[in-house]
Amino acid sequence: MFDALDAGLLNIIITTMKVTLPSSAISAVLGTALGLLLEGSQFYGKRIIVRINRTLMGSPPVVVGLVCYLLFMRKGVFGFMDILFSVKAMVVAQVMIITPIISGMVYSSAERNAPNIRSFAHTMGASAGQTRLLLIKELKNEVYFAAISGFGRAISEVGAVMIVGGNIRGKTRTMTTAITLLRNQGNYSEAIYLGCVLMAIALCVQLVADNLKGKEAVGDDNY
Amino acid sequence: MIITDLEKNFSQFRLLIDRMVTKPGTIYGLIGPNGSGKTTALKVIAGLIKADRGKIDYEGLVKQDITMAPRKPYFIHDSVYKNLTYPLALRKIPPGDGLVESFLSLAGLSGREGQYAPSLSAGEQQKLSIARAMIFGPKLVLVDEAFSNLDMESSLAFEEAIKVSQKKNPATWIVISHQLANIHRLCSHVFFMDEGNLVEFGEAGQILFDPKTPKLKRYLQHLSL
Repeated sequence: MFDALDAGLLNIIITTMKVTLPSSAISAVLGTALGLLLEGSQFYGKRIIVRINRTLMGSPPVVVGLVCYLLFMRKGVFGFMDILFSVKAMVVAQVMIITPIISGMVYSSAERNAPNIRSFAHTMGASAGQTRLLLIKELKNEVYFAAISGFGRAISEVGAVMIVGGNIRGKTRTMTTAITLLRNQGNYSEAIYLGCVLMAIALCVQLVADNLKGKEAVGDDNY
Repeated sequence: MIITDLEKNFSQFRLLIDRMVTKPGTIYGLIGPNGSGKTTALKVIAGLIKADRGKIDYEGLVKQDITMAPRKPYFIHDSVYKNLTYPLALRKIPPGDGLVESFLSLAGLSGREGQYAPSLSAGEQQKLSIARAMIFGPKLVLVDEAFSNLDMESSLAFEEAIKVSQKKNPATWIVISHQLANIHRLCSHVFFMDEGNLVEFGEAGQILFDPKTPKLKRYLQHLSL
């Protein structure tokens, strides 16, 4: 029953990873830098920027997809790049969706913890660079959680990649867009099968990330 | 260190220190009722809070010479060893020659250097915090009620260690404590603060046993040595 699906499944999985892994990685770097920069800076209008970031955290993917489409269409501002209906355009769209989520989460945790870490570093005589390094080290769990949340959003996202990717078979068809297509065709069993594979992949990526992050001792607070 | 006309305003509180002078190698106590501005004063001296007005002359000391053991110490998410040696690592001082072992022993944490520091008890954390503040030989040490969670044995051990350390590497200490016995044993001079002002200063014996101002008399009335 799943023969036709299995033949294209590998291609769909590869395309999905080609989109989600780079977009998650780029967003993790950009989002972490932006979150920490926002927390550590004091400037007029900061509260407005924070509010805009929070709004963008919940921006509908189809709207982001539409914006990307308009930017990358032949007559769009970036039409000369000729990347519409390609993996590159899908990565850009996902970066636009995930980066505010990661920056918002990193900002929120840094806002809570960074003042204590900075005070500690100051009383230890740390330089500005040493303090920044300590901040990143101490917030690594929060950054990791934000990055994993971003990946979760990326791998489950369908609206934007559908619009800018076009769900082209063998080229821009990802697992989520394939599931949508199968549902439209009434192939529910195949859609569920693909959904299970998608969840298994998400689990595997998270396990690999957990192992890369390494274990950290967890103890009682002031027993 | 010389503090002149220091002022820091908060919505409900004002810290105002006209003049405060400390001499190198001397251990000072800073006492006063809750909310009198002791912690704020220490944070301003440490550079954690910026004063609105006034001047602090550190007499050549730089940020790397000054440290603070706060009431609620922060511990990096790592082992006791990493926390204790963090100030050494910052200064690229090799943690050899039994230095780390002696401070682990002082903190009562010998053999537990691999333990996750945030999992220590409150008292152990305080001991580690003071040991960490001492290990790199600072010139100005600010202690904010860090002795308050210590048992008598640990408290005496630290007092002895500080006295020994003063002979090798004299530093200025400013110690906030409500344990007047600590202050009496450890400090040669005492500042008394109330309502954001330095009210009285003198030798420890004079401040604790022969107070001049009514505010200090009232403060000491309910405390025993």
